Amino acid sequence: MMTDPSLVVQAAWLVPALPLLSAALIAAFGRRLPWHGAEIGLLAILASLGLSAAIAWETFTTVDPAPYEAAFAWSPLGGGFVLELGMLVDGLTAMMFLLVTLVSTMVQVYSREYMHGEARFTYYYAMLSLFTFSMLFLVISNNTLQAVVGWELVGLCSFLLIGFYWEEKSNQDAANKAFLTTKFGDVGLIVGVIVLSAGMFGLTDTPFNFLETIDAAVAGQLSTSTIVLGMLLIFLGCVSKSGQMPLHVWLPDAMAGPTPVSALIHAATMVTAGVFLLARLFPVLAQSATVMAVIAVVGVITLFFGGLLALVQDDIKKILAYSTISQLGYMVAAIGVGGYTASIFHLFTHGFFKALLFLGAGSLIHAVHSNNISAMGGMRRFMPHTFWTFTVGSLALAGFPLTAGFFSKDEILIAGDLWALNGLATGTAVYWVGLAAAFVTTFYMARAWFLIFFGEHRGAPHDDTHDDGHDEVAHGGHHAEPHESGRQITVPLMILAVLSLTAGLIGSPFAQERPNFESWTSTPVIEETTYPFLAEFATAGVGVSAAEKGPSAKILHGPPSWHPDLLLIVLGVFGGAVGLAWRFYGRGLPERDPMLQMGGLTRVLVNKYGFDDAGYRYVVVPVRDRMSAWATRISNDVIDGAVAGVGTATKRMAQTTYTAVDQRIIDGGVNGAAFSAAWWSARLRRIQSGDVQRYAGALVAGVILLVLAFVAVR
Amino acid sequence: MDPNTAGWVLIAALALPLVGAALMLLLPKDDEVRIKRFAVLVTGVAFALVAAMTAAFDYGRSGELQFVTDVAWIDAINARFHLGIDGISLPLFFLSYLLPLLSAIYTTKHLPEPGKPKAFLGLMLLLQTGMAGTFVAFDLILFFIFFELVLVPMFFMIGMWGGPRRDYASVKFFLYTLFGSIFMLVSFLAVYFQSGLRSWDIVELSNASMIGSTTFQTWAFLGMFLGFAIKVPMWPFHTWLPDAHTEAPTVGSVLLAGVLLKIGTYGFIRIALPILPGGAERFAPVIGVLAVIGIIYGSLCCLAQTDIKRLIAFSSVGHMGFVMLGIAAMNEAGIQAALFGNIAHGVITGMLFFLAGSLHERYHTRDMHVIGGGMLMKIPRYGVLLTYVAVASLGLPGLAGFWGEFGAMWAAISPGFGLADRYGGLYLALVVFAAIGTVLTAGYFLWMLQRVNLGRPTEKWAGAELDDVLRIEWVAWTPLLVLVLALGVFPRLVFGVQDAAVSVLLRTMGG
Repeated sequence: MMTDPSLVVQAAWLVPALPLLSAALIAAFGRRLPWHGAEIGLLAILASLGLSAAIAWETFTTVDPAPYEAAFAWSPLGGGFVLELGMLVDGLTAMMFLLVTLVSTMVQVYSREYMHGEARFTYYYAMLSLFTFSMLFLVISNNTLQAVVGWELVGLCSFLLIGFYWEEKSNQDAANKAFLTTKFGDVGLIVGVIVLSAGMFGLTDTPFNFLETIDAAVAGQLSTSTIVLGMLLIFLGCVSKSGQMPLHVWLPDAMAGPTPVSALIHAATMVTAGVFLLARLFPVLAQSATVMAVIAVVGVITLFFGGLLALVQDDIKKILAYSTISQLGYMVAAIGVGGYTASIFHLFTHGFFKALLFLGAGSLIHAVHSNNISAMGGMRRFMPHTFWTFTVGSLALAGFPLTAGFFSKDEILIAGDLWALNGLATGTAVYWVGLAAAFVTTFYMARAWFLIFFGEHRGAPHDDTHDDGHDEVAHGGHHAEPHESGRQITVPLMILAVLSLTAGLIGSPFAQERPNFESWTSTPVIEETTYPFLAEFATAGVGVSAAEKGPSAKILHGPPSWHPDLLLIVLGVFGGAVGLAWRFYGRGLPERDPMLQMGGLTRVLVNKYGFDDAGYRYVVVPVRDRMSAWATRISNDVIDGAVAGVGTATKRMAQTTYTAVDQRIIDGGVNGAAFSAAWWSARLRRIQSGDVQRYAGALVAGVILLVLAFVAVR
Repeated sequence: MDPNTAGWVLIAALALPLVGAALMLLLPKDDEVRIKRFAVLVTGVAFALVAAMTAAFDYGRSGELQFVTDVAWIDAINARFHLGIDGISLPLFFLSYLLPLLSAIYTTKHLPEPGKPKAFLGLMLLLQTGMAGTFVAFDLILFFIFFELVLVPMFFMIGMWGGPRRDYASVKFFLYTLFGSIFMLVSFLAVYFQSGLRSWDIVELSNASMIGSTTFQTWAFLGMFLGFAIKVPMWPFHTWLPDAHTEAPTVGSVLLAGVLLKIGTYGFIRIALPILPGGAERFAPVIGVLAVIGIIYGSLCCLAQTDIKRLIAFSSVGHMGFVMLGIAAMNEAGIQAALFGNIAHGVITGMLFFLAGSLHERYHTRDMHVIGGGMLMKIPRYGVLLTYVAVASLGLPGLAGFWGEFGAMWAAISPGFGLADRYGGLYLALVVFAAIGTVLTAGYFLWMLQRVNLGRPTEKWAGAELDDVLRIEWVAWTPLLVLVLALGVFPRLVFGVQDAAVSVLLRTMGG
């Protein structure tokens, strides 16, 4: 499609291929190398990063945003249908490439120090590479089925890494929970992909192809039921993968994995998959008001109630985990209110500051040997680099003006506002609930920030009741006083901090002219598609055409502009939240944490709204323990009972035939005949010897006799 | 060898194991080493021949029969000796020669109690001829003979080298299958007389226009259905399977899961569907429902198992459910998926049974509670292999298990023969429930891995000396381990070979 795509774009397949190669090489030779395989992983990911940067630059600066697609037939599937293995490179792909490879690079650099001395260090690096490959394979897909393959591989790698410390049962459980919860969502994904592809039968031989599906949907060739059913089912997959309520339950538990893995999962290679897929299929879902409304509602619920859960956490990783759920809620909600650009822009900036925050948390945990913020305090004196980088990350997460998070979150709120102009209530909800959640976000991050970095250093209690005991084992013994981490940890933090400050600029009002983030990630289809239900709404309701209705019926909102009113509100929210947090936590950890003194609300939050409990009690236990027992009992008693019954009945019939018919009637009549009863019973007893050889011999003889008889008669 | 003329190759491949079994009788009973080596030699030569055949196969014409022999045989009943191989038969035929070779290699180290390698390996060779024959026989009588021939050696394998309840399991296996095959034979006879062709030839009967009325087709299909459904086994005819598998020696289980169960699904695809398309059309929704019940039900039963071998046996019920769902879709994609699922299940579950057997060799128990975890620490290589194959079995994309399962669900969304119009909603529900079955499958495999692989070894085993994967096991297993990955990454290896043959098949059905 694209006229003469540049060489780097054509070589995009190398971006996922290199980490795959590296995973294989590390697994094969890693142990024998001086850095135990880390050097292969680093080389490969650096090469991928370089290529991704070149592709990003190429797609960013190109005026013509047409996607580049190349594919070959992977396999016939029967009925003339073909499964392709292909690549689709456009701004969205390039953006994801850059994000994934950059965060992966940071994580790999960081892990060399963080995971130093781990028994399964080589395995760890092989898995990191495989994880990165899986995500990139999903991102580059030109068809839904290939995306499913990448999606499931991502799930497997996360399972293997969450369960990295598999000696402990709690970690095994966390890994299983993550895999099974996301697998449950995959039921939706797989059936959705199937439904969507079935709509393409008769239109093409490659029914999974993204671009063809999008074109067909936009052209109205897919029935409404196909789009609604297919996209809602696919959205179920996104709900579980991207941690939307109520299938978010696996995400906080996934903290059982090593901290750099958490950074990877939360920023780049796992939870973003769902939002990415929604963005990829955006023109399809934009055809249905129902689908968009459902997505928006789920997103709004998640962004608010997910964030609230962070308020009562003591574990720094859990705070960050719930903040991820909340931020993913923003992204999903944005999709639901037509904020295509806003959603993936937030995905982009969030990747940087969330990776930064997790890696920063790892640095802290490394120093104090505890995950709990109650065991920290005063850390700014011991760890100045970690302090300022973590501060930048927190500001970006809270959406402080001019940080990356500010621009992207505001885009989402503005998208909600514009949606509300169309008379759609979900837009209003996104705007106001989004603002309220921003207050919550700022408050819990300020709480964590004060408790970690200010006041007196409290230190971990001596009996070590922290979760992440392995880090300590790896690094040996207690340190008297925490100290700053080494350069392999702090340099990635600094790089990510710079990005958390600047990455937002390409989508900010400073970038009114093309190229900016919007022009980068749009394609001709995105630019031309309108929401059909809005056009109907306009013509039927008010009597104006879709064109007169202005840009709101279009997907893109145009270049970002300043919203002084929103800036003021955001500043007010920020000030209020930080002030409140300062009042509670400014002088160190209070005797009684006000967050734990909210009565019923605290109880609800500590119990995580009861989702985990209910899921276990009403889904896992009945299926695993009760239904399985019933099924086995049916198998053993009912079905096998029937089989045994037939056997017994046959035996009894034979007995009756023998005693009643043969012995009394026939034998009684033919007394003294050659075949006496005694003779028969001796023979019969021999048959019942239980000697299998004899049974088989009789059978073969029988078959031969039958065949002979058959031949003779003919 | 020219696939158009070299019919002798197929005959030679079928005869080799038989001749080998006969020659083995001449070997002295006590020279176990020589007997075992001889079995490897025979299966190896036979495999080499089939590998050469696979190489010579004309893939451009995979829809046509190749290596054909078609001569008069029992004139009195018009039965002919008709052998041939096409794209549908080839992968299964190949598997019938690969697995016995690997089994023979494995047996050189692990011979089940009470020994007697001569009898054991001789029976295995006999079994090989039987099962390979079913995939290349194109005469109903010939097919039936091979079909029954399979029963006898397997019966002995379970009955003589099996576990504590071997008598019960072997007789149940034997009688149950025999019971079904009688109805199948009656249907064969009915088709023979009804068609008016005076022919048992599968190709001719498939190409014939609709045989008999729809009512006739329905009844005749019911007979074949009973024969094949028991063999598959479909729910609710599955109860012989867990018993047979649990009691069978390792090699018996490998061949049972790897090849024998496929005879049932192959029979549906090769015989029941094309000869009785009218009956198949009426039965398809029933098959679909039973298949999906099997998927859910088999997985639930797996969750309740503590014996790892019995768990794998029940997993077969679920996996064969996916295969049958593909058949119930009655379209090309469905048949393709069913056949792919057949091969994938043979490779993966065959491998799982090898692993279960070796587990028993080490721990002398298969109870997951007794093993109690820590295998990844105790015997790490073995633990990794178990993880790998279990993950393949739960249908991870990129490994062999995925394509059959996904393909079956995908095909069932728009079933052929007008079923989409009449039963569209039902089939959508089938797809959804089958997909839920994949979650349950993931569940029992993950819990299995958690119980045996993860954690630390219990006190009972902490000090025990356990071998990690032995060299002979590597030799026997590597081909399967490679196939698990290769079929996952290159599904074309099977889909591509079958494509034309499946098209031809569907055309004869008038679909």
